[in-house]
Amino acid sequence: MNSIIEIKDLSFSYDHEEPKKVLDQVNLTIDQGQWVALIGHNGSGKSTLAKLIDGLLTPTTGTITVAGQTLSEETVWEIRDHIGMVFQNPDNQFIGADVAGDVAFGLENRGVPYEEMHLRVKEALKAVNMEKFAAHEPVRLSGGQKQRVAIAGVLALRPQIVIFDESTSMLDPKGRQEIVALMRRLNKEEGFTVISITHDIDEASLADRIIVLDDGKVIADDAPAKIFSRGNELFKIGLDVPYPERLKHELAHLGVQVPKKYLTEKEMVDWLCQYVLKK
Amino acid sequence: MSHTYQVGTPLEEVAVKEVSFEIKNQSFTAIVGHTGSGKSTLLQHLNGLLKPTSGYLTINGHKITPETKNKELGDLRQEVGFVFQFPEAQLFEETVLKDIAFAPKNFGKSEAEALEIAREKAKLVKLPEAVLERSPFELSGGQMRRVAIAGILAMSPKILVLDEPTAGLDPVGRFEMMELFKQLHQKEGLTIILVTHQMNDVANYADHVLVMEEGQLIADTTSKELFSDPSWLKAHHLSLPQTTDFAYQLQQRGISFETLPLTEHELARFLAPKLNQRGKIDG
Amino acid sequence: MGKLLLGRYLQGNSFVHRLDPRAKMILCFYFVLIVFLCNNWQTYLLLSATTLLCAVLSKIKLSYFIKGVMPLIWLILFTVLLQVFFTRGGTVYWQFGPLTLTQFGLLNGVFVFCRFVLIIFMSTLLTLTTPPLAIADATESLMAPLKKIKVPVHEISLMLSIALRFVPTLMDETTKIMNAQRSRGVDFSEGSLVKRIKAVIPLLIPLFVSALTRAEDLATAMEARGYRGGEGRTKYRRQIWQLKDTVSLVFFGLVTVGLIFLRN
Repeated sequence: MNSIIEIKDLSFSYDHEEPKKVLDQVNLTIDQGQWVALIGHNGSGKSTLAKLIDGLLTPTTGTITVAGQTLSEETVWEIRDHIGMVFQNPDNQFIGADVAGDVAFGLENRGVPYEEMHLRVKEALKAVNMEKFAAHEPVRLSGGQKQRVAIAGVLALRPQIVIFDESTSMLDPKGRQEIVALMRRLNKEEGFTVISITHDIDEASLADRIIVLDDGKVIADDAPAKIFSRGNELFKIGLDVPYPERLKHELAHLGVQVPKKYLTEKEMVDWLCQYVLKK
Repeated sequence: MSHTYQVGTPLEEVAVKEVSFEIKNQSFTAIVGHTGSGKSTLLQHLNGLLKPTSGYLTINGHKITPETKNKELGDLRQEVGFVFQFPEAQLFEETVLKDIAFAPKNFGKSEAEALEIAREKAKLVKLPEAVLERSPFELSGGQMRRVAIAGILAMSPKILVLDEPTAGLDPVGRFEMMELFKQLHQKEGLTIILVTHQMNDVANYADHVLVMEEGQLIADTTSKELFSDPSWLKAHHLSLPQTTDFAYQLQQRGISFETLPLTEHELARFLAPKLNQRGKIDG
Repeated sequence: MGKLLLGRYLQGNSFVHRLDPRAKMILCFYFVLIVFLCNNWQTYLLLSATTLLCAVLSKIKLSYFIKGVMPLIWLILFTVLLQVFFTRGGTVYWQFGPLTLTQFGLLNGVFVFCRFVLIIFMSTLLTLTTPPLAIADATESLMAPLKKIKVPVHEISLMLSIALRFVPTLMDETTKIMNAQRSRGVDFSEGSLVKRIKAVIPLLIPLFVSALTRAEDLATAMEARGYRGGEGRTKYRRQIWQLKDTVSLVFFGLVTVGLIFLRN
């Protein structure tokens, strides 16, 4: 597979005097069409990394290459055409006065002609199932709906990469489900490269690959099953653990020999039934 | 009690509809329901921010009816500590300590007394000594929230109302926050009323649960009872705690439970003897 | 807050709703100017009839317009009374010290009242039939010639529309912070003036902090979506000048001719 993002020796700190770096010597390659979850406790540098990839911050050292172009002052606007970002707070990224106006914002910035713009806004709203709300003002929308509008705003620009920066963390369970379902569709059916920054372990488990950041360093980078088999080690750095791992941990405490390998919920049910039901 | 917004206008909206319930002293009550179910409206009655439009409620001996005047509420605001969603938004003082001391000063304590209380409450919420003289705006999100909570506890309330207190925190932050409330409940004897979407927290911490739907109270029960009926929960679009959900899957495969467990600890205690037995037979 | 009708848009599809916002703004300002040409009951009657016609064409209930007048009623009455008691001339009906009630005074009072009501009716009509954003867009479009003298027209208009967009959000926020501080024992409604001013500090500081965070987030989001100033931008909403806009302008021109004819 082709790589779409390459990060080499990336370091970043907000203050040059500060010896402690927000990101410290990060090296990553992300393939086209991959779904990558970026996890880590608050302040681990996840959101900073996302902003660096989009050129919203400038690296202290190191280089970032997106779709073959090295990020610099000259290329940043072109690179942003490849990347769509959905942020955390649904209210603070709603720029237009109404839904259609907000979706159009990015197109207006790029000088897309009037007829094509209307077509693309309509398409994008349809893709997130919000076409009925085109004339709604943001006050009349739920958090989940506002995030869907933000996603439509991204889709209208037809990027290759969509970065979700904790986009589900301020939503209620229903809103969260809707957004995660959309993420899955964008990646699996429509081939977008998806980077999701999240605390939600269920959301992360859907990804092809999980990158764990801790205090600005990549400390693990593997398939979800491999990452989750580290169990309690994750909890120690401020992260959640999938349910089967938590149960295994409790069982091990009570002297039960549990499999080392990561089991999904279904596999765990199978494993337990196999022994408990066998007389 | 009921509460209707904008009575007599075209925008009239019944938010809470003829709700009756009782919350026991020193209990840990969870209120659950979807966004727009009327939870928030109900909650704001508990310290008199809103008054019922019909019916009444009695909180710690204060009776609130539609006619009650703000002045008659007396010490109610002090007796009911209200932690709003994202409470760090209420911070404004120059230092952490001064911010925590704000409420006691409003309720008539002297500057010195208020600062003394602030010091004590900062310790209670486990804020490090080093941050007390710093600006609250320099702290991390989780610490800011602790400052806000200490600012509420500084009124020495008897009842603590929590509106989604863990929203936006990372997993460890969430866990530590819930453990703090547990401690306040058990050691300080506070009555806790928690509004949450997190069914795991309901299962782990609450003994009493109220379920709201479209302004009405549709369940008033214990958490054990509530989660023993997965199909009822499903019908009302509510989720199960992870353990109960997992045990429910086991039950469908033929492992029978007397009552569905609520916490992974409980489930492990149930399963371990059965699994260890297997070890002996195999061995 | 519901009382202040200025700036509250009512959805609709009437003739007035469908006019180009630019036409509506030009006409509204023009109307305010020609109101000052009135100097007798015939001229006021003509403009009242014009206003009434516009109101009918908007299909909005008259009560909405009256509600628009209400918040300003004390200011109007005060001005009217000044006119009534301090204008001299004509028959004197009543006198007490410096106060006189004269024929001209009464007439002037009635005229001033009409002038206020007509202006408020017309501007209420503009805001009731035009979404705030369309007004912002129209402002940008009408001010476009000013770009030549380096006035940042696009930026002003964008600021205006973002400000409008965030009004409800910040109102919400204000209510939340007020509730939180009331729960900490702040009383916003009672006490001496000094006490009330002091009570505002715990409200204003959090509000500023939150507004700044929002502004920062918004700036990041705008940049991420490719915003780099007004240069080369296209617009999603296009304002199209139609025949009915020209006709409306011509109609107001005719009203002016009538007005000059009827003037003393």
